[in-house]
Amino acid sequence: MLNYSYVKCKDLTQAYDLLEKEEQVYPLAGGTDLIVGMRGGKFAAKIIVDIKDLPELKILEENDQGIVIGAAVTLNEIATFKPIIDHALVLAEGAHTVGSYPIRNRATLAGNICNASPAADTAAPLMVLNAQVKITGSHGKRTVSINEFFVGPGQNVLKKGELVESVLIPRPYPNGTGVYLKASRTGSVDLATVGVAVQSWDNKVQVAVGAVAATPVRAISVEKAVNENGEKDLARAASLARDDISPITDLRGSREYRYHMAEVLIRRGIEKVMEV
Amino acid sequence: MSEKMAISFTVNGNRETREVEVGHTLLKFIRDELHLTGTKSGCEIGECGACTVMLDGKPVNSCLVLAVEIDGKELLTIEGLTENGELDRIQKAFIDHAAFQCGYCTPGMIMSARALLERTANPTDEDINQALSGNLCRCGAYQEIREAVKAASKK
Repeated sequence: MLNYSYVKCKDLTQAYDLLEKEEQVYPLAGGTDLIVGMRGGKFAAKIIVDIKDLPELKILEENDQGIVIGAAVTLNEIATFKPIIDHALVLAEGAHTVGSYPIRNRATLAGNICNASPAADTAAPLMVLNAQVKITGSHGKRTVSINEFFVGPGQNVLKKGELVESVLIPRPYPNGTGVYLKASRTGSVDLATVGVAVQSWDNKVQVAVGAVAATPVRAISVEKAVNENGEKDLARAASLARDDISPITDLRGSREYRYHMAEVLIRRGIEKVMEV
Repeated sequence: MSEKMAISFTVNGNRETREVEVGHTLLKFIRDELHLTGTKSGCEIGECGACTVMLDGKPVNSCLVLAVEIDGKELLTIEGLTENGELDRIQKAFIDHAAFQCGYCTPGMIMSARALLERTANPTDEDINQALSGNLCRCGAYQEIREAVKAASKK
């Protein structure tokens, strides 16, 4: 049995207070990473702050700013939300590849990015959509671009006492299509060996890759070659991703395999969104 | 430190109020406190699906839910599928198609299949593969399981 205190939060202020004043406090939304991490010794939680039923975190809506995804919204809710399917399909696809259907009934987008795994399946899609992360705490609110949110494996920019309140997919939406391509050892229920998100914006592309560096990263060299230098040989453009990534060897794949798969998936992704 | 908390919930249609250890998962609570041992413990990290139950009508891995989290919620376990002593259509189809050997994964499989048929009345093979991809069967009865789910969908 795990030893911790459990607090079901009545409002966000209560959550900020606990997160700021106490040590080893962990917010609980879906719990699919937290509970596994606690059991495995990765997280030594003394207090669990349950925020999942707070109405302000359950918001999933489209407004003047774009699509707002509250921190307690589950991945299944995201993958089936019509404005996301219509305007941000790459995110629906990324969300759909996380774990299994029962996992996605609990797991949240905010949890997926806060856990900050380099392999997080929603991270690369959020990057190519220019998503903004709304962070709140007892000292106020701030907004951080998803491109600046990740700091290292398991690390993000959140300070003590802060929470991700929501993620915004901002307007204007991309007018082209997007795709998430994932290489993994099994057809489902596995972490990405490499995960590639490609989004078309007008005639330009944005490309982001997961599981190939300390954080999910944009493949800037590839984007530059295609968007600015007019590179038509997409295999050559994709090969430039080697400058943007620095994969490691682990049980899911070797460094060289990841380099190769990143190139292959980036090329396929660009071909798909540019309808080559 | 061992902390307890009182929670109220519905399990298989019955209203209950219990004291639970906050350090216990829903899986442990279901098996050790509610004594509903149809729900199985497998990997306990959300990968095998043996512990799948329905919470407020949605399938979840009970190993990844804390017992305290079901306060105010509705829980359905494999034991709750029987009506007036009669097995439901999915349970019958699993028997008719011999969709198991050891049977350990079966309760979880049936709960995931039930959730699938609630959202997709006539699933394709791909729908079934996707929906059950979080439920592992080490005996390898996948083909029979898929046939059973398909047959149940037609009843």
